[in-house]
Amino acid sequence: MEGALKLWAVIVAVGALNYLSRLSFIALFARRSMPPLLARALKYVPAAMLTALILPMVVEFKGATADFATPRVAAALIAAAVAFATRSTLKTLGAGMAALWLLQWARG
Amino acid sequence: MREHIASKDFREGFVEMLPACIGLLPFGLVCGVGAAAAGANWLASLGMSAIIFSGAAQILAAQLVAADAPFAVIVLTCFVLGLRFLMYSAAMAPYLRPLPERMQKVLAFLLTDQAFAAAVRRFNASDDHHGAGLHFLGCGAALYLVWQVSCMVGFLAGNLIPSAWSLEFAVPLCFIALLAPLFRDAPSVVAAVTAGIAVLAMSHLPMRLNLIVAGLLGIVVGTLADLARERWKAR
Repeated sequence: MEGALKLWAVIVAVGALNYLSRLSFIALFARRSMPPLLARALKYVPAAMLTALILPMVVEFKGATADFATPRVAAALIAAAVAFATRSTLKTLGAGMAALWLLQWARG
Repeated sequence: MREHIASKDFREGFVEMLPACIGLLPFGLVCGVGAAAAGANWLASLGMSAIIFSGAAQILAAQLVAADAPFAVIVLTCFVLGLRFLMYSAAMAPYLRPLPERMQKVLAFLLTDQAFAAAVRRFNASDDHHGAGLHFLGCGAALYLVWQVSCMVGFLAGNLIPSAWSLEFAVPLCFIALLAPLFRDAPSVVAAVTAGIAVLAMSHLPMRLNLIVAGLLGIVVGTLADLARERWKAR
């Protein structure tokens, strides 16, 4: 597929699927009750998907082995503690970025 | 629509969301940079933020387009990533049922991670569904406007940001802000640990397929842990 066309096809398809997912139980299946197993499984979607999304952005690889002793991993753990305690996006971001800059500076 | 925007609840929602919006500014910048790297022109970049309106999906779609992944893989990956919207939708549905259908459809479009967190708090705290709906509309409007502007600024001026600032680290931090509070619930911890081990163990898979497989694995194991906990309690 040609570049610009493919990009627009992705935008429309992903946008439509996103909207249908958001609309699903509000409008599309509003009259149906959800199967209990599905309701149970959906509760764990955010924890699983967010973790799978976050870790590759934080953990660097040295060849085939993951390297956990990095400023990024330490800063992410500090940010997670702040997020757990405060539930605030702004404080999490502030603590995480400050920790990363400090650790990178300390490392030289 | 005008009387909606003039209402006190709308304004409260709009203002309440502004601190979170500031936190999302760097995320939006990174999304704009990603769109540019994927070869988007300004209109396609605006299309990504205005139509998809989900930072996670935008970044992932941009990365996969830049890596020339097949169309079907890109769409499937973003769909699995967006499964969490099904959960948000199900959780919001009982609150939105008393509202007019048109309002439901607009609010569904604005149902993002951040708006969901704010809306559930408000709907739980108040019996006035109409007012809480307007509050949600205010939250969503603030997020939508700030998101479009920050993505566009990132697209136009992203290459001016020094790489030493590590601005891209703001993206995992925004997700950590959503993830860490979930760790008060044991099966969610099980789901997260499973997905985390799996995504790193399978990082050699092409086209970020490790994300889908690890995510689905985490959901299954988390659900099993939830069922096991229930059995344990019933004994």
